[in-house]
Amino acid sequence: MAVDDRRPATVRTGRADQPDRGERIASLVGEARQGSEEALGQIVTELTPMLWQVARAAGLSAGDAEDVVQTVWMRLIAHLDDIHTSAALTGWLVITARREAWRVCAAGRKQLPADTESFDALPTRGPGAEEQVIIDDQRRTLWRAISQLPGRCQELLRIIAFVPRPDYAAVAAELGMPIGSVGPTRGRCLAKLRTLLASTLEGDDVVG
Amino acid sequence: MSSDEGGRPSADEALSADELLDETDLSLLDGIREMFGVADPMPADLPERIRFRLALRDLEIEVARLTEEEQELAGIRGAELSRTITFDSDSLTIMIRIDANRDGTVRVDGWLAPPQRREIEMKTSAEALSISSDDQGRFAFARVPRGTAQLMVRPAEPGPDGAGRSVVTPALIL
Repeated sequence: MAVDDRRPATVRTGRADQPDRGERIASLVGEARQGSEEALGQIVTELTPMLWQVARAAGLSAGDAEDVVQTVWMRLIAHLDDIHTSAALTGWLVITARREAWRVCAAGRKQLPADTESFDALPTRGPGAEEQVIIDDQRRTLWRAISQLPGRCQELLRIIAFVPRPDYAAVAAELGMPIGSVGPTRGRCLAKLRTLLASTLEGDDVVG
Repeated sequence: MSSDEGGRPSADEALSADELLDETDLSLLDGIREMFGVADPMPADLPERIRFRLALRDLEIEVARLTEEEQELAGIRGAELSRTITFDSDSLTIMIRIDANRDGTVRVDGWLAPPQRREIEMKTSAEALSISSDDQGRFAFARVPRGTAQLMVRPAEPGPDGAGRSVVTPALIL
């Protein structure tokens, strides 16, 4: 499908992702289970950006990603009764979207490698905004570091970053990939990313 | 991506002991989210369209699913693409072929399987077009404006249970 007149969606910043987001989603799930169309709609608005990233991280074209996201939401309706917590919901959504995305890929439809999009190719915003230049720079550094990670880590971090914060660990576990840099297991995705950033930056304190 | 927050009290508590993320991890994830939000944003109206579709689900409507899409170079003019799209629902298969008209609109030819006479509506960004399929299940919209469109196949006749439900396709970009 030739879709690409997409307007950028509102970018959520870290500020919007408060710890109580999980509780809010959990209570929306409860209301949706009891038939509240409005609650269901709010859940869709909250978590569609996450599903989009899951589908795109699996390598789908924009058109296929849309189809997958829509399919997942339609399917959720039949499963709402089994889902009680925010983590259960986001876990179910992520896993179902990923499986559906693979199915579409396997069906041989258009597929783009996940790294087609080059961050370097993004237009930088207007001149004058010095702060913006610094932000663009930080993003490029991060982008380059991420693109050096193994594919599984790239996908995991991209997905987890869009999961409501309180559900990070549960969803990462569900994906079979612990993410944290803290703890006994070496070679976790964030640990690798931090090592890469540290070696790229050499004294530059852009991160942390 | 500086750690500018004075601690997030409950974030860490929600994580099990072997999954602890520290502030640097959290701010990295914030940075990753912002980065992909800029690099590959979802279409801004996607949640709205999904909400619309979900709202339809109780109305005795089946949502057909896109199962196949093919493009081929059509005829001598070469540059024009002809698209064939197949949608499946529980009760119906809808196949459509989309060809460009010279005036910038598109022509949509369709077939219903199993073949049947149904009223068919094409919702477009401009107006809704309405026609009927013939006994062989064929239908054609000669001129449809480009843009977003959605097909709705109405029940043949409102009858007792099982007489047929409306079937809608996902939104299409013509």
